[in-house]
Amino acid sequence: MSGPKTLRPGERVFACLIVLFSAVALWQAFLISGFTGLSQPGVFPMLAAAAMLGSALFILRDTLRARVDHENRRTFAAGMAEVVPVKLLVMLVLVAAYLAAMPLIGFVLASGVFLFVSFAFLWRRHVLVCLALSLVSLAIVYFLFRVIFQVVLPQGQLIPPGVF
Amino acid sequence: MIETLGYLSLSWLDPWLLFLTAAGTLAGIYVGAIPGLSVTMATSILISFTFKWQVNEALALIAGVFVGGVYGGSRTAILLNIPGAPSAIATALEGYPIAKRGEAGSAIALTTVMSVIGGFVGILALALFAPMISDIAIMFVSRDYLLLGLIGILLVGTLSGESFAKGVFAGGLGVLIGMIGLDPMTAEGRFTFGSVTLMGGVPYVVAMIGFFGVAEALMQLKTVDVAAVKQKVGRIVPRLDDVKRYFWLGIRSSGIGTVIGALPGTGGDIAALLAYDYAKRTTKSPEVPFGEGAKEGLVAPEAANNAAVGGAFIPMLTLGIPGDAVTAVIIGALFIHGLKPGPMLLVETPHLFWFTVGNLTLANIFLLIFGLTGIRIFTKIVECPKAILIPLIIVLSAVGTYAIQNDPVHIYWMLLFGVFGYFMKIYGFQVGPVILGVILGPMMDANYRRAMIGARGDVGTFLWDFVSHPISLILTAAFLLMIASQTPLWRHGVSMMARNPAAK
Repeated sequence: MSGPKTLRPGERVFACLIVLFSAVALWQAFLISGFTGLSQPGVFPMLAAAAMLGSALFILRDTLRARVDHENRRTFAAGMAEVVPVKLLVMLVLVAAYLAAMPLIGFVLASGVFLFVSFAFLWRRHVLVCLALSLVSLAIVYFLFRVIFQVVLPQGQLIPPGVF
Repeated sequence: MIETLGYLSLSWLDPWLLFLTAAGTLAGIYVGAIPGLSVTMATSILISFTFKWQVNEALALIAGVFVGGVYGGSRTAILLNIPGAPSAIATALEGYPIAKRGEAGSAIALTTVMSVIGGFVGILALALFAPMISDIAIMFVSRDYLLLGLIGILLVGTLSGESFAKGVFAGGLGVLIGMIGLDPMTAEGRFTFGSVTLMGGVPYVVAMIGFFGVAEALMQLKTVDVAAVKQKVGRIVPRLDDVKRYFWLGIRSSGIGTVIGALPGTGGDIAALLAYDYAKRTTKSPEVPFGEGAKEGLVAPEAANNAAVGGAFIPMLTLGIPGDAVTAVIIGALFIHGLKPGPMLLVETPHLFWFTVGNLTLANIFLLIFGLTGIRIFTKIVECPKAILIPLIIVLSAVGTYAIQNDPVHIYWMLLFGVFGYFMKIYGFQVGPVILGVILGPMMDANYRRAMIGARGDVGTFLWDFVSHPISLILTAAFLLMIASQTPLWRHGVSMMARNPAAK
């Protein structure tokens, strides 16, 4: 709000997306009970969504007014790399794979593999060091949560019950 | 009176509660200190594990983590110039230069003593004012709660975000997430898209872990390779003349911290910045200029952010409105244990209130003990590389989310919130209002509808009620003032006044 400022890469796109998202949310809120009464279940969601839409439009206006840094204009790829670095993308893929694998192979196995792969990717030490570290940290997590806190950890469908 | 004393000393006399408070405080110091781990993150994950415990045990642990965590951030700020938590940003400005002069030990000792003093001021305020506020709060009606909720969300949005619009958007998003599921009044589905899974709603702990845990971990990936510069630590003994000289500044900053902490939605981070600014404005001739290691700039934020802890409990326990993000999480814990934070809490369960006061006091004493010892091991642990921390945070977040209802779908929600939260952070949105919205949204919805039904569905009566009752009128005025202060017209007026002092 403090005068025109330089845009972050992708900021306008993000502003457009949240306007769209708020509009859809408002439409969905309208579908709950419409304008049938002022104390209906849909009224407050509509108010919230309307507030979102209003503020999202403001944000979009601000980004349209903001100065585009033409002198240091980067390529699309460079901008993307700033907002979504390759490291982040790789980690996101790893996390998604980890969470998807958890119901299949169980928490212990999935976490072990996830920890090992991400340590190896982020920390870049010797494979054995990473392996040892992931085993130790997995053992601590398992002991702390399964044994002390008695939390139920996700079991795998493909793993016979009772193994982990 | 004797009963109150009994509740107060509950955690002091029970060895198990004593141990949990101590363990919580120690763990909190490390959690607060390790950059990338935050108190909010830790408490949200902890709550998912402790909901099967006795409520006293869970609260003892969480109180310890809260008190320790708010303090812990200062250590890395001083030693590594990396604030371990947002509430230690101001501390880093002065603490690191002091450490570079080779006085890290005395700086840490001074912050410890001041944090503890601040903590006690906050607790004292809690013990004195909460019962009073609770007496007034019994007179609050539904529209007042609606206003309090709105004010809380907006306060976070205005004070901490890049722009007001972004704060409103985040708050609205939170309210919307809180609405998902069956409407508690009519059992109609809202945003369920016919799916049975969505009918149960999204537990707020899932949203918290997503927005605070995963999103933060993803943000940390950007700085994964930054190595910290270590400082030598000397003797950790507080110098008596230092403590004496800055005592009153500490007390005044604690006052600021308590008030800011008690405002719904604002917590230690804002309290610390305001107190720092206060110290900077009121210290006429500092020994060392600000920014180059002025001890005043170390004392003020640290006393204030610990005072904000006690302050933050005031609106939570008396009104059911969290004072900051961590108390928002603790409110979730109270709900899970079947307690209803609000004006009736002190009437129905006074033991819980006095237990909390006693517990915070105990945690503060442990803070003094742990704060002045064990620094050498400490420096080793905080050097833990982020490359190891980030995957661990993700695993812990997954366990935490699953533990709430043993539902794997919640883990996917968590990831979704995490990724969205990452983009929000990148583009200058705050995630705090989202969480406040999720927690306060259902409460505001119910109170809005009660107020509307009370006005028989007539908009005129509904609006008139907001200005015709004294409590509502004050809250309405505060709410409107907050919105007005964000409009360009207001700022134009203020700048005109500033340029033309005669017009005052």
